[in-house]
Amino acid sequence: MNSNTGKGLSVKLGTIELKNPVIMCSGTFSSGIEYNDLYDVSMLGAVTTKSFSLVPREGNKPPRLCETPAGLLNSIGLENEGIDFFINEHLPVVKRSGFTIILSILGADAAEFTNLATKIRKIEDDLLAVELNLSCPNVEKGGITLGSIPDEVENVTAAVRKILNIPVIVKLSPNNNNLAELASRAKNGGAEAISLINTIIGMAIDINTFKPKLGNIIGGLSGPAIKPVAVAKIYNLYKEKILPIIGMGGISDWKDAIEFMLAGASAIGLGTVNFVDYNAGKNILEGIASYMGSKNILNITDIIGKVKVR
Amino acid sequence: MKLIKGEIISNKKIGEGLYKMTIFSPYIIKHSLPGQFVNIKCSSESTIDPLLRRPFSIHDIEPDFKVFSILYVLKGTGTKYLSKLSSGDIADFIGPLGNGITLQENENNNFLLIGGGIGVAPLFFLAKTLSAAGKNVFFAAGFKDNNFLLFEKMLQGLKISYEIYSENGTHGKKGMITDLVIERADDFKKYDIYCCGPINMYKVLQNIFSLKSIKAKALFEEIMACGIGVCKGCVMKFKNGKDGYIYKTICKDGPLFDLMEAIFE
Ligand SMILES: Cc1cc2nc3c(=O)[nH]c(=O)nc-3n(C[C@H](O)[C@H](O)[C@H](O)COP(=O)(O)OP(=O)(O)OC[C@H]3O[C@@H](n4cnc5c(N)ncnc54)[C@H](O)[C@@H]3O)c2cc1C
Ligand SMILES: Cc1cc2nc3c(=O)[nH]c(=O)nc-3n(C[C@H](O)[C@H](O)[C@H](O)COP(=O)(O)O)c2cc1C
Ligand code: FES
Repeated sequence: MNSNTGKGLSVKLGTIELKNPVIMCSGTFSSGIEYNDLYDVSMLGAVTTKSFSLVPREGNKPPRLCETPAGLLNSIGLENEGIDFFINEHLPVVKRSGFTIILSILGADAAEFTNLATKIRKIEDDLLAVELNLSCPNVEKGGITLGSIPDEVENVTAAVRKILNIPVIVKLSPNNNNLAELASRAKNGGAEAISLINTIIGMAIDINTFKPKLGNIIGGLSGPAIKPVAVAKIYNLYKEKILPIIGMGGISDWKDAIEFMLAGASAIGLGTVNFVDYNAGKNILEGIASYMGSKNILNITDIIGKVKVR
Repeated sequence: MKLIKGEIISNKKIGEGLYKMTIFSPYIIKHSLPGQFVNIKCSSESTIDPLLRRPFSIHDIEPDFKVFSILYVLKGTGTKYLSKLSSGDIADFIGPLGNGITLQENENNNFLLIGGGIGVAPLFFLAKTLSAAGKNVFFAAGFKDNNFLLFEKMLQGLKISYEIYSENGTHGKKGMITDLVIERADDFKKYDIYCCGPINMYKVLQNIFSLKSIKAKALFEEIMACGIGVCKGCVMKFKNGKDGYIYKTICKDGPLFDLMEAIFE
């Protein structure tokens, strides 16, 4: 990056301060260690880790992936090595490498989130924030089942909030039609920002074998195919002025990132694009900076929610 | 691993729907082991169809020319795109990926390579490496028909022995490559065995080898997204303990595994 690229890029979401608005989505970047071989991951606003649960999860039956037009259907089922693995194995490395970490966590209910938060308390100084995955479509308990019930959203958020001092982000699913209500309840529970959107429930069938293409039958759709849905969800929630939004869903270049910010995202999340363009984080950050230069935008915050609807 | 834009030196049709692409890349030559693969972008820079990259095994390396090759069959959109590229075009890929085959600690002198169909692609690189190290290599290759005639020409360039079977008898002996393995299983006990081919071939080989208590390694495939172990999308079931199983990623934990450990469903 040239020496000007750092300027005017910082954003604030509640008390969450980011040096730039580029965040890596949960589950598509692991903890960032692999990508650090390709570019300096510490330049990113933040890396959201894979969602970790209290105990390791084996994930769903394969096949877990299926490409659809401009999209990716997945039914990973939150395979992860468990929170202790993150604390013992990933954290020392990401700390040494200077990554800014948002730790994503997943529990079946408020009690499990409480246990997770208790474990995280001893490492919270090393984290920027914690993100509650209340939106995964690929698990039987927790995820979207929990995240579509307003009372649960508030309870879970409050339970974690009570234990941790770092900011709490709640990640919601586009498969809900009451996002404003869910976001307000997350706010009541003490959340400082909303991540939107997780994947959209989808399915694909092999017409030769008559079988579903995913082992788990149904999965979550991500990638460019879902971008307009994400933009609309963000636009609608932004208008409600409930909480700042980390916008994600199909961003594939810096132009998409700008579009999300115009719709109302204070920061943007990169997911599937990391599989297509391994340098997406770096490239999109540089793209945003040069767009600002060309448009004479001094602070990126000046464009948040500035879509001209009339 | 490194993200590389390498010049395509040639992209030749060597059979019906079968191509060999040669790419300039000093980095890949220097760092890759047989069994490793590259994840190639199969759409032009400005398009997203297909969205995901496609994995291909490193088929050959030619250090003198600083080039490596992939051998690929036409399947769908991605491979169709690749087949249209020509010399001078740029290939955008990341690699080398996965765990390859290292020979250092290997005392054995005899190696059996069993390839089925396009599975012969990575085994060629292995055969070349082994024969350069002075090992005795026996390459057993099975095809449907005579579409891989030119592949045999490549094998002839190596100092190894080989046998070819085809299902319809138009190339080499008539039959399945597993017929040969059944016939000579006892001989093969003293070989280090590496296989690459379709699941059906692996199922038969598992049966033969378990009856004879023969060990073998195999290269596996699964649909991939990241190719570098972050998405947990490319898993297969492997044995774990006495009756248990565990999911392992093909891209990072593999693609090389003990054949006998794989659980096919
Ligand atoms: C580690 C590894 C090494 C491979 N090496 C070779 C090689 O040397 N030569 C070769 O011809 N092929 C190889 N393959 C298979 C090759 O990746 C697929 O044939 C190719 O991705 C098909 O893409 P497509 O767009 O043409 O087909 P489509 O059928 O349109 O592909 C649709 C989706 O399925 C995936 N897919 C389809 N077939 C396979 C398959 N057999 N294995 C994994 N994913 C698949 C694609 O990547 C894509 O995501 C390898 C696969 C893996 C995992
Ligand atoms: C393979 C894969 C794994 C994912 N795993 C998680 C996860 O563990 N936790 C989570 O909150 N979201 C997960 N997601 C959702 C992404 O974080 C993101 O919200 C979604 O993919 C939309 O963004 P995209 O279109 O840019 O990928 C996953 C998505 C993919 C494709
Ligand atoms: S393809 Fe992502 S883990 Fe293997």
